[in-house]
Amino acid sequence: MSLAERRVEREPTAIDRIPAPVWALAAILLTMPAYANDFILFQVMGWTFILGTIALSLMFLAGYGGMVSLIQMTVAGLAGYMVALFGNSGIESLSLFLPWYVYIPLAIVIAAIFGTIVGALAVRTEGIYTIMITLAIASAFFYFSRQNYSIFNGYTGFNLVIPPDLFGVDWRQPVAFYYLSGGVALLAYLAVVYVSRSPFGLALQGVRDNPRRMAALGFNVTAHRIAAYTFAAVIAAFGGILLVWQNSQISPGTSGIPAVIDILVIAVVGGIGRPIGPFIGALIYVLLRTFSPDVLTALDLSGERFKTVIGLGFLIIVFWSPDGVLGLWDKWRAARDKAEDPLRRRAK
Amino acid sequence: MSFAEPIGQVGSGAALELTNVSKLFGALAAISDVSLSVRPGERRAVLGSNGAGKTTLFNCVTGDFLPTTGTIRLFGEDVTAFPAYERIRRGLRRTYQISLLFGGLTVSDNVYLACRGVSRGRFSLLRPRKGDALAAQTEELIDAVRLTPVRDTKVAELSYGQQRQLEIALALAGAPRFILFDEPAAGLSPTERGELVKILTGLPDHIGFIIIEHDMDVALRVAESVTMMHNGRVFKEGKPEEIEEDPEVQELYLGGGHE
Amino acid sequence: MQGFAARHPFWALVIIVVAAALIWLVFAPWPDALEDLIGRKKVFLNAVIGGITLGALYFLVAAGFTLIFGLMRNVNLAHGSLYLVGGYLGFEVAEATGLWLLAFPVVFVIVGAFGLLLQNQVFRRMEGEELRQTMVTIGISVVMADLMLWIWGAQSYTLITPEWIAGPATLPIISAVKSNGELVYLKFPAVRVAIFFAALVIGVAMWLVLNRTRLGMLVRAGVDDRDMLQASGVRIQYVFLAVFAFGAGLAGMGGIVGGTFQSLTPGEDTRYLLASLVVVIVGGMGSIPGAAIGALIIGLSEQIGVVYAPTYSVVFTFLIMAVVLAFRPQGLLGARL
Ligand SMILES: Nc1ncnc2c1ncn2[C@@H]1O[C@H](COP(=O)(O)OP(=O)(O)OP(=O)(O)O)[C@@H](O)[C@H]1O
Ligand SMILES: [Mg+2]
Repeated sequence: MSLAERRVEREPTAIDRIPAPVWALAAILLTMPAYANDFILFQVMGWTFILGTIALSLMFLAGYGGMVSLIQMTVAGLAGYMVALFGNSGIESLSLFLPWYVYIPLAIVIAAIFGTIVGALAVRTEGIYTIMITLAIASAFFYFSRQNYSIFNGYTGFNLVIPPDLFGVDWRQPVAFYYLSGGVALLAYLAVVYVSRSPFGLALQGVRDNPRRMAALGFNVTAHRIAAYTFAAVIAAFGGILLVWQNSQISPGTSGIPAVIDILVIAVVGGIGRPIGPFIGALIYVLLRTFSPDVLTALDLSGERFKTVIGLGFLIIVFWSPDGVLGLWDKWRAARDKAEDPLRRRAK
Repeated sequence: MSFAEPIGQVGSGAALELTNVSKLFGALAAISDVSLSVRPGERRAVLGSNGAGKTTLFNCVTGDFLPTTGTIRLFGEDVTAFPAYERIRRGLRRTYQISLLFGGLTVSDNVYLACRGVSRGRFSLLRPRKGDALAAQTEELIDAVRLTPVRDTKVAELSYGQQRQLEIALALAGAPRFILFDEPAAGLSPTERGELVKILTGLPDHIGFIIIEHDMDVALRVAESVTMMHNGRVFKEGKPEEIEEDPEVQELYLGGGHE
Repeated sequence: MQGFAARHPFWALVIIVVAAALIWLVFAPWPDALEDLIGRKKVFLNAVIGGITLGALYFLVAAGFTLIFGLMRNVNLAHGSLYLVGGYLGFEVAEATGLWLLAFPVVFVIVGAFGLLLQNQVFRRMEGEELRQTMVTIGISVVMADLMLWIWGAQSYTLITPEWIAGPATLPIISAVKSNGELVYLKFPAVRVAIFFAALVIGVAMWLVLNRTRLGMLVRAGVDDRDMLQASGVRIQYVFLAVFAFGAGLAGMGGIVGGTFQSLTPGEDTRYLLASLVVVIVGGMGSIPGAAIGALIIGLSEQIGVVYAPTYSVVFTFLIMAVVLAFRPQGLLGARL
């Protein structure tokens, strides 16, 4: 967060460009610990930030690169596993108990390498093939992590994976975790926004729109796509590390097929056109997931049926608004503008 | 690819040299056995009726397609098996007959991408600072094709003529040594054609180009030599006047290109 | 085939050597040295034949998937759900009537009708929007999975094998030689043998229909060039509906088969969806022979892997897919992307 403030100081004009709702949102998020209970902070908001960050990495690939990758949750899961393996966990026979400044970078690098290799395979094909291939690799990872005991500890996975005791703070305290996950989510968000206008990000959008022309301008299209997977893997890895700390455990199910699909649902429901979309999607998902069992039970249905609710919600969004909730919002604004301004309607 | 030839051998000193290049689409030979040699700095027009294989020829040269047979040398280097971007980085440029632009990006982003494509830092994660060399080059190019007033407009919203102009700007980025123009004048108004001719004749002398052009007037004003293509084959080569007066050519052209 | 050998002499040689080695391993009595090295021949043979029958089941499920994709470019990620719902319905029918065979036509019709509905109500509305189709079918599979969990719960179901194919069958393959020189022939559950032959018959029938009938000609023409077919005035919509219904019905019947020699539990839908994905990625999208080869390779690698390297059997499957992707992204028998 301090990083963001410094950036703002350097470019005073940027402050003027930030619209009022963003200020309001920032104020609400910053002061939330003052009035929200621990459950909201840790479970609802913390989880939203984490899932939003992982889904953001998918948004980066899909929105800017045109590649719908289902491998992001797996990358996150791998990073979580690496933290448990190289750092600390209750499985003392496997964990190496390295210091945090070794195991965190190590986990991110390993996840990035994995993401890059998957990308190198996936970019050999296009469109729906990418979905199928990344889904197949994700499931291979799931079954492998379930069967392998020397690295992933099979069915049980790792428990008691807790964050390091940095600066004397217990980062699993709700308020601390809220700020930690929120800070990481904000940094990831800013990084994506910033990179989208960098040469790499622009080139990626060029590759998405028109790969043939990009090659004719001197770009190595394949290398750009693979690099996008690497960048997205780094973001997903941060999400994965937070996730293992939040749950204090990791097991094959963390990156099982339902979890992989959930990330896609989150990104699509929020909207893959803009980096804020995944966070909106994550909030909706977490709220549904947390509270729909209660609502369902109140309606005399089994609380288990929340999956049907989420699936139906996803279907409705995909049917009616391919650009997610953000797309609905845009449509509503366009309709309002049209209604106010008869001239615009003609021009359109 | 041929192993017999020493790599990097400087051939005849031609900028572009095609030897027996053919391209089959299934059973259809879009070009067959085309051999062609263009000197550095030479300006060549390629004429031919619809479907003669002109665009396919360009696609083979730039690496959009791999030719079925034959070799392509660029400044003496065998580039037949090179990916497109490697050829571009060696100074080759092209425009497309049907504009291939980035409709969702602004004019300046389009041109910036073109400049970035042939310079280093393609993978840079840092945003360009104001006043860096590439930004200046971008502005220069936008100005050269007279698009400064619309530099922040999304390309999808430009007029047809402006899009054609942007096509050309993209081909001029960096330090081009040889450019392939695919019907740049098609669909332009007479005034716009005049401007196009001005841009083409105003290019520095060391830059050679091939221009595909149905409009004889434009072609003959900018080109010093002419290649006629028909049914995928090179059919005549020579000075513009010779070609214009050639009876066979006249029959083909005035007869509407049918046998 | 000859064209392949001429173009890729090295790979042709590799394929021939591997095939010859496999045939030798299956039919020749094993020398003692080999048995010491990798265990009894019977174990190996069981793995191979298990792999072939599993491949047969994969083929049944993946054939519809690949056909639907090849013809309509529709990626139906609810295909695994069709498999599972077919299995459950088959169980109910067999349970209610006591007639195992009756389950097949009933399930084929019901799941096929559901396929018609999917094609007509979902895919037709989003013609050409592959990504949206994919997402919608993911949504459908999520909902279906939860509804099936609701109806049938989390326990596992197995269809009772009817008596007439319940016992073991003796295969004309020597599994061992007794010390007195007597040959021991391999015994294997008859139901699996039946499944293999059923898949063989269905596969050959599909191939014949595709290659020898007018409907097949239309379908193949559609795979090669949809626009042409559309322009030629054929009511392509009916061809689409028929193929979709057939593919769905086949997946449903696959569910019965899988529910008979394995079991039906929640999660099997994703497993068979993934198997179908891998099979068609390896074999090539839209190719029936490709699906057959892909299914065989995956089935074999899974079963042999389970026997000889249980931890890494998934990795074998994955490696096969990665190698195919790296060298032949369109799949072994797929048309160029
Ligand atoms: N990608 C392709 N696939 C199949 N056939 C193609 C392809 N590109 C070109 N062709 C065919 O190759 C032949 C030559 O086409 P090409 O575009 O090179 O002609 P051209 O000389 O540029 O014509 P025009 O003056 O219309 O631009 C045509 O018959 C065309 O249909
Ligand atoms: Mg052309």
